[in-house]
Amino acid sequence: MSRHWLKQSERGSLFLIRLITRITLLLGRPAGRLLLYPITLYFVLFSREARNASRNYLKRVVPQPIGMRHIFRHYHTFAATILDRVYLLSGRQDYFNIDIRGETLLLEQLKGGRGCMLLGSHLGSFELLRSLAATHPDISVKALMYEENAEKISQVIQTLNPEIADMIIPIGRPDSLFQVQEAVELGEIIGILGDRVALDDKQVKVRFFDQTCRFPAGPMLIAGLLKIPVVLFFGIHQGGRDYTIHFELLTEGFHLDREQRWQQITEWTQRYANRLEHHTRQAPYNWFNFYDFWDETGNTPK
Amino acid sequence: MLENEVATLIIDTLNLRVDPSSIDPQAPLFNEGLGLDSIDALELAMSISKKYGFQLRSNDENNANIFASLSSLSKHIESCRTT
Repeated sequence: MSRHWLKQSERGSLFLIRLITRITLLLGRPAGRLLLYPITLYFVLFSREARNASRNYLKRVVPQPIGMRHIFRHYHTFAATILDRVYLLSGRQDYFNIDIRGETLLLEQLKGGRGCMLLGSHLGSFELLRSLAATHPDISVKALMYEENAEKISQVIQTLNPEIADMIIPIGRPDSLFQVQEAVELGEIIGILGDRVALDDKQVKVRFFDQTCRFPAGPMLIAGLLKIPVVLFFGIHQGGRDYTIHFELLTEGFHLDREQRWQQITEWTQRYANRLEHHTRQAPYNWFNFYDFWDETGNTPK
Repeated sequence: MLENEVATLIIDTLNLRVDPSSIDPQAPLFNEGLGLDSIDALELAMSISKKYGFQLRSNDENNANIFASLSSLSKHIESCRTT
């Protein structure tokens, strides 16, 4: 599997993100939703890379042979959540029926005045987290992300809701994590996605869908160093206007042991991967990592 | 000399398998050179705070320069240390 191929499929989904964002801003949600069908169909028919990326994943979760209708449904779910993201980021949570489960787990962790980590993924929609801001204006969330991605997304966010742009902490500078440490001391939540590993990231190998897979070690390392609780976040699109948020407590905080460090990190990351696999099996079409996630060379995009 | 002490602190904190004297004081600590990343920087900052009694903050515009090399980091510690 060449790196070129991986980049191609990922670029395809970026193109889709931009196109749908523009259309939604221009025409609104109802018209945007109608247009999702022809756009998705066109994309699936004309991009072999996109089909391959989807099929390569779906064959692991869907028991039947994978056909065009499965692939169409996969990209349609992706496209629908991108469309909804535009609304979520501009503060229009009122559009959606959001069923929130386990919210008190998160609120309890914040009681002591110290912040916690909210560990998400590319399953479903992380932007659903914005609905928390509407119901709990006192809770502050910062998102840690790669600078290149942050810049791409920032342009979109800047036009939708400039306030949110301040919530992004770019990773990759020597002092990136000082910001995280300071935010936690102020009782803020640090949002981070734990399922994509970049080449030069510290990584661990865990079992995921019956295969050994690389996951970033960063999230659990940061949690261990700062001794903060980790709450898992899964925001699943159920179709139409319906979303479900699951908050789950992973750990109330742990002490990193010098000698056992990598065993500890692997163990905690494995527990995260187990929950991610569980929710992925429950909602297989919400998986939005459109590249060869199980590629052994580790050439995964950021 | 403080530079040697800081080199030892870096190696001990991050469990690096190099000799303190082999770190070029002018070479970059991050990406190239020692190849440290932002997680290493956090851990290092926590050690520095414990040992020298001051905290490195994110709003210091000089952070890129401070972390540029062993030499610049040592100079910064020298000027900020409280212990």
